[in-house]
Amino acid sequence: MTTSVMGLFDYEDDFLAAARKLKDAGISDLTLMSPIPLHDAEKVLGLGSSAIRRFYLIGAIIGAVSGFALATFSALSFILPTGGRAIIAIPPFLVITYELTILFGVIATLIGFHVVSGLPAWRDKPYDEQTNVNQFSVSVELGEGKDADRIGQIMSSAGAVNVKQVEV
Amino acid sequence: MSEATYQEPRWDEVNRDVLATMLNTGPRYWWLLGISITVALVCFFGPWAYQLYVGVGAAGMNRSAVWGTYLSNFIFWIGLSHSGTLLSAVLHITQSDWRKAIYRSAEAMTLFSLMTAAFFVMVHVGRVWFVHWSAPIPNEMDLWPNFRSPLMFDVMAITTYLTASSIFIYMGSVPDFAAVRDASTGMRRRLYTIFSFGWRGTAKEWHTLGWAYTFFAVFVIPLAVSVHSIVSWDFAMSIVPGLHHTIFAPYFVCGAIYSGTAGIVTVMFIIRKYLNFERYIREIHLDNLGKLLVVLSLIWTYINIMEVFTTWYGGSSFEMEALKWRLTGFYAPLYWEMILFCAAVPLLMLSKKIRCNWKYMLIISILINIGMLTERFIIVATSLPRKFLPDSYGFYFPSGVEISITIGSFAIFTTLFLIFVKWVPSVSIYEVKETLKPLKRGSVEARS
Repeated sequence: MTTSVMGLFDYEDDFLAAARKLKDAGISDLTLMSPIPLHDAEKVLGLGSSAIRRFYLIGAIIGAVSGFALATFSALSFILPTGGRAIIAIPPFLVITYELTILFGVIATLIGFHVVSGLPAWRDKPYDEQTNVNQFSVSVELGEGKDADRIGQIMSSAGAVNVKQVEV
Repeated sequence: MSEATYQEPRWDEVNRDVLATMLNTGPRYWWLLGISITVALVCFFGPWAYQLYVGVGAAGMNRSAVWGTYLSNFIFWIGLSHSGTLLSAVLHITQSDWRKAIYRSAEAMTLFSLMTAAFFVMVHVGRVWFVHWSAPIPNEMDLWPNFRSPLMFDVMAITTYLTASSIFIYMGSVPDFAAVRDASTGMRRRLYTIFSFGWRGTAKEWHTLGWAYTFFAVFVIPLAVSVHSIVSWDFAMSIVPGLHHTIFAPYFVCGAIYSGTAGIVTVMFIIRKYLNFERYIREIHLDNLGKLLVVLSLIWTYINIMEVFTTWYGGSSFEMEALKWRLTGFYAPLYWEMILFCAAVPLLMLSKKIRCNWKYMLIISILINIGMLTERFIIVATSLPRKFLPDSYGFYFPSGVEISITIGSFAIFTTLFLIFVKWVPSVSIYEVKETLKPLKRGSVEARS
């Protein structure tokens, strides 16, 4: 069982201000929740480019190799000569290669999304349903060296409409 | 609601309005669903079962016309699928905000059109229990499919497109599934907890979703273009007069986006009216879609003129005979109907008054798709029965079974769409919020 302090905000600017103040106070493991994607929130957390790119690249490469290998293998396992044309025919096989590049790339991106975002997350975590409607929240998990009152004070001073302790 | 009287919804109203379309179901919905399932069973699955029992001879296809309505419908439905995912991806990359209210339903259209198209492949092949022979696995005779054939390109392309489109729509819906979860109780809540993967809307989740979604969009654009190019090669790689044209790939891709965009207008009209989305799907969407349709209509017309011109300029007597038959033969009225509906009527949308009128646009969009359905029929029905020497000439006219199955396919699409609107928010909740005034002190206070 862990305890977190959660502050709810009506306004985006208050929410971002609270996140920045908490960061300045040395609290780095913030969870910021919002009903829409906010680039400023990502900036506060220092989120740059995503590791999902590697999944996409690896998936696409595996797909390309598999596509060409599949077409080549099937052509070689049953030789069908047509007018003296090549058995391993590059132009048509490139079409199969292309399609499988995309197929594997897409599937790898889906896997990457789950791995990088940590979803599915079935375990209970601090959450307020209003953050999927019209409010924003900052949540800090309490631990050593984290004073709940001080965190709550910072949130309130930034404009939190509700500060509560959540146990999950 | 006109643009002048438009009042922007509040963020909580977006949740309320969109979720109401899923959670509140009136008798009209059940009637519509019941009728649509009945029509699908009676007009599609019944005649298909009959065809399976008596053989593929129940269709009007014959010795020289070995392809018929089933394949022209297949192209039509694949074409219709090009609206959603492709348009959504292009508009996402170009950061066009007006896409946000309409893309979810458009993507669903893609998915269900592809599924309907897949049914036609199964109906066309006759002995459907051998359909797995086209899968990339060895069959009972230890034979692999021939990957040099455009038909196999098609199998791979459509499978990839169906998979990518499903993932694309699912991924974009995850935050909205969480909204449904939060607004529901009992079994539905448990179900949407699974669908939403425990989404909370953290900055990290949004960040990853943004990257993933952009990658999908980048993947999907060339994929969609490749899919209809490949469908065109099913025809163009043969040497049949009337089909053997290098312009077929762009012709098919343009036609697909054209009919798909018209399809979006039709679907938008229906969901706007019957799901009460007047505040979300507005004149601005209609205006932009109308402009897009005019551009696509002009490109489509240009390609049609070029098809005739290159045939004439090429001077092949076989090609000329096929062209003459198409323009003046038995099916000439259909050809000119297609020109009227797809080249002439869309020019009406040059007028803003027409472009911003829902009723006019509904009529025009339906006419365009009637024209596009005819286009696909003409391609099939006027080429194969008219190739090379007159002793191989034949004639194709769809049988009652084929006409019934064609009607039934629209019922399948409608059924799938009706099920969709009750399971997935048909307007993207979070993306619509992005287009509204931000919840910042200044803007909110200024508004109140």
